[in-house]
Amino acid sequence: MYRRCGRSLLVLAISILLVPLAGCWSSNEIEDLALSTGLAMDKGQPAPVEKELEGKGSTYAKRNRVMVTIQVAPIKSKGNQGKDQSGKQSAYMNVSGSGDSIFEIFRQFSIRLDRPVIGHHLKVVVISVDLLRKQSIEQITDFLLRDNNIRPSTLVYLSDGPARETLISKMPGEVPSFHIAGMHRNQSRTSKVLDPVTLTKLDSLTHSRKSFVLQTLVTGGGEIQLSGAGIINGSTGRFIGSLNQEDTESLNWLIGGGDAGPIKAYDRNGQPITYELLSMKSKITPRTEGEQISFKVGIETEGRLIETWDEQAHPTTNEYAEELEEQFEEKLQEKMQNLLRKLQTKYKTDVAGFGQRLAIEKPAVWRKVKDDWDRTFSRSQVTITCKVKITDFGSFTEK
Amino acid sequence: MLSSVIDYIPGWNVWTQAILAFLIPILASKIYKKMYAITGKGKKPDTADSKKAETLLEPSGAPFSGDYEADIQVIRDRIGGNSDLIFREIRMEKTNVRAALFYVAGMHNDRVLDLHLMEFLMFEAGSDTINEPGRIRDRLPFSCLLEASDLNSFNRSVMFGHIGLMIEGELGGLLIEYPNGANRSVQEPLSEALLRGPRLGFTEVLSENTSMLRRQGFSDQLEIKTQKVGTRLRKDLALAYIKDIVNPDLLEEVSARIGKMDFDFIAESGYVEQLIEDNYLSPFQQVQNTERPDRAIAALLEGRIAILLDGTPFVLIVPSTFSMLLQSPEDYYERWLPGSLLRMLRFLAAFLALMAPALYISFISFHPGLIPTELAMSIIETRQGVPFPSLIEVLILEVSIEILREAGIRLPKPVGPAMGIVGGLIIGDAAVQAGIVSPFLVIVVAVTAISSFSIPIYSAGLSLRLLRFVGMLFAAFLGMYGTILFFLLLCSHLTKLKSFGVPYLTPVSPFRLRDWKDLFFRAPLALMKRRPAMTKTQDDKRKS
Repeated sequence: MYRRCGRSLLVLAISILLVPLAGCWSSNEIEDLALSTGLAMDKGQPAPVEKELEGKGSTYAKRNRVMVTIQVAPIKSKGNQGKDQSGKQSAYMNVSGSGDSIFEIFRQFSIRLDRPVIGHHLKVVVISVDLLRKQSIEQITDFLLRDNNIRPSTLVYLSDGPARETLISKMPGEVPSFHIAGMHRNQSRTSKVLDPVTLTKLDSLTHSRKSFVLQTLVTGGGEIQLSGAGIINGSTGRFIGSLNQEDTESLNWLIGGGDAGPIKAYDRNGQPITYELLSMKSKITPRTEGEQISFKVGIETEGRLIETWDEQAHPTTNEYAEELEEQFEEKLQEKMQNLLRKLQTKYKTDVAGFGQRLAIEKPAVWRKVKDDWDRTFSRSQVTITCKVKITDFGSFTEK
Repeated sequence: MLSSVIDYIPGWNVWTQAILAFLIPILASKIYKKMYAITGKGKKPDTADSKKAETLLEPSGAPFSGDYEADIQVIRDRIGGNSDLIFREIRMEKTNVRAALFYVAGMHNDRVLDLHLMEFLMFEAGSDTINEPGRIRDRLPFSCLLEASDLNSFNRSVMFGHIGLMIEGELGGLLIEYPNGANRSVQEPLSEALLRGPRLGFTEVLSENTSMLRRQGFSDQLEIKTQKVGTRLRKDLALAYIKDIVNPDLLEEVSARIGKMDFDFIAESGYVEQLIEDNYLSPFQQVQNTERPDRAIAALLEGRIAILLDGTPFVLIVPSTFSMLLQSPEDYYERWLPGSLLRMLRFLAAFLALMAPALYISFISFHPGLIPTELAMSIIETRQGVPFPSLIEVLILEVSIEILREAGIRLPKPVGPAMGIVGGLIIGDAAVQAGIVSPFLVIVVAVTAISSFSIPIYSAGLSLRLLRFVGMLFAAFLGMYGTILFFLLLCSHLTKLKSFGVPYLTPVSPFRLRDWKDLFFRAPLALMKRRPAMTKTQDDKRKS
């Protein structure tokens, strides 16, 4: 009895010992990892550090087609305990490398960094338009979409200049990728900010082979600005041109994405008058007459007069409101026409969803034209009617 | 064709895994069964042996001889060696008969003894009272008067605190008055304090405890049955139940298990609990203990049985289920909305007390992607100086908190809170400053500790404290996967566990919708018209 008991105890002890033998499976302490919070892609050329390293013969077989910069945050700081000095040093570190496989470049970073990079916390991907002129967006985002760790909620932006410069900030303690990731919150303040495009959305956009726009970033003076949008051609996946801030705003109104921001016009006396949007509705109605496709766009907006520099005006009467409404309508019409001219004649692409409306309302027609939609769109006639309604004049005192 | 079939036959490593996956559970259950069999649950083997023990225990010792001198001599020989035994021989004036009093010092109020008892015996008791054989019991004016059957039981009773009286010419000894040793006054229950509700707590005296139960309300159905337990030092144990509610099968089972207890001394009701529980290997208590008469009587009305033991204020309630561990009488005393809120809060607290450190470890060491980015950044910044992996870090702090709690119980009352502050605040802060642990962990451990304090039953908190460490190990080995595995193991254990035939997880599994009224939230009293289904009571209506 005693021996049997002892043996079963032995078996028990051995089976318990098996557990710690396995160790801490795939355990990785969080402080021993580097979070990549931002990713920038530029056209291929060796990064400065890389150039020096390559000069010493440290390189591998590659073609420089893309330069990838990752932002690692937070960086190791020894003086972490001293509370007064934290915040003065920069909170991030950018690492660049070039090559022709994004994954390989990532792994190449691993022979330069002291901590493995993980992609879970990637917030933004910034792609320079120069790179997108050469490579299609599908090629360069393929890895990002395949990787299991990178979240599909990562935001995608374009950059007018070198993308790696958008990941540099002068503000101490600020991580630029968080700054960029947070910028779309201003959608409630201006329509110049488009709905952010996430990786999942990008995936569907590229695979549907439709043209689309991505918001563009511009750097200057150590600051970052959202400046218009870049048009990506659906069939080639390449960058074909950009819309400026105002066109982007108009586009946002046209696709029903924005309902904030000002419309500024000049009144009879040449003084600026500003209208604040409170709501914005747009409706695209396709019409077909034989082969000819035309669109009717109705834009309705309500808002208030928020600012006027005209001291002579008596801004309480209905007549005055109607007069202003007319002026704003004119302005809005002008902005829309500008946008459409650019889309139809300059870039010859539909990024405002005209095709989608047609596909919904007249699927039979759409099936015929969809293969060559961008060209068909550029030939079709678009009429725009704008309706501005001033609901109030804000709070002010009668003189 | 055949080759394509062969292609699908897995390789040796898959086979090994399959065999392991098959064998390990079998092995584990074998080991479990063996360990379970080792103790035999503290029960006596049935019938024949137990009768032997019974005889051993109560030798039908020497009967009284009837000869006063001889009997006195026997008694003095047997127990006269005790220095606290007081022997007083008196002569009864009216009848001129000798009598002897035996009692143990300190068990009685001496003034009462001197004034009433001695006076009566020496000067008042007359020949009409004594000398009529067999009538002496009726004639003596004591409310509590017992007759000892033999010398041995007479001796034992005297030593336990009765006053023994031997009268010349009488066959047998008389036992007067119950023992009245040093007692504590009735106090507020220390381990189950409430803001609203009776402040009364059980004491160490069985008769007081049963009377407290009785005083909860008029009823002739509350039955209390007393029996002696312990083989060497015998003690009173009482079963209390409500006759027309309790399930007779349950009552039978409880009495049977108590009858099978074989231990020389039952020091506290914890002994009873451990000797009658269903599964001694389970980390969960299958018997609830309480200091509160109101909780005990409420349990009786749900068809449960209370086990009261002399010498302890802790009363056992059987059968008990998991949901009872997180219930507090206050849930019922307050209105149902706050009662429900507090109860759900307690479920959350129990979950945190069990899982918070395990979750911390799995997030920090395995799944950095599941932490919000900003938090991940600040954790990285604060943990940069910490030299240990998260398991060691958590263990350091958890163990010191546990030591602190343990120390807090031993400390004298005025020092206790100061110690808590010194331990909790200063050690925590200093450990962070010294870079041994991260500040985030201090929050986790503090939340865990606070959560475990909010569990209304102390021993349930102990189970969770124990399991917390197991959970931490699981998390350290396998991360979130291990944590979930641990939770599933717990769940599967709990579903298998039974307390006196009642499944431990009762309203959840087996599913009894009727009892969900009183699980995560407490339904308004007007809706709780029936007793819980789990106890299978004789009369399940709470409304007439």
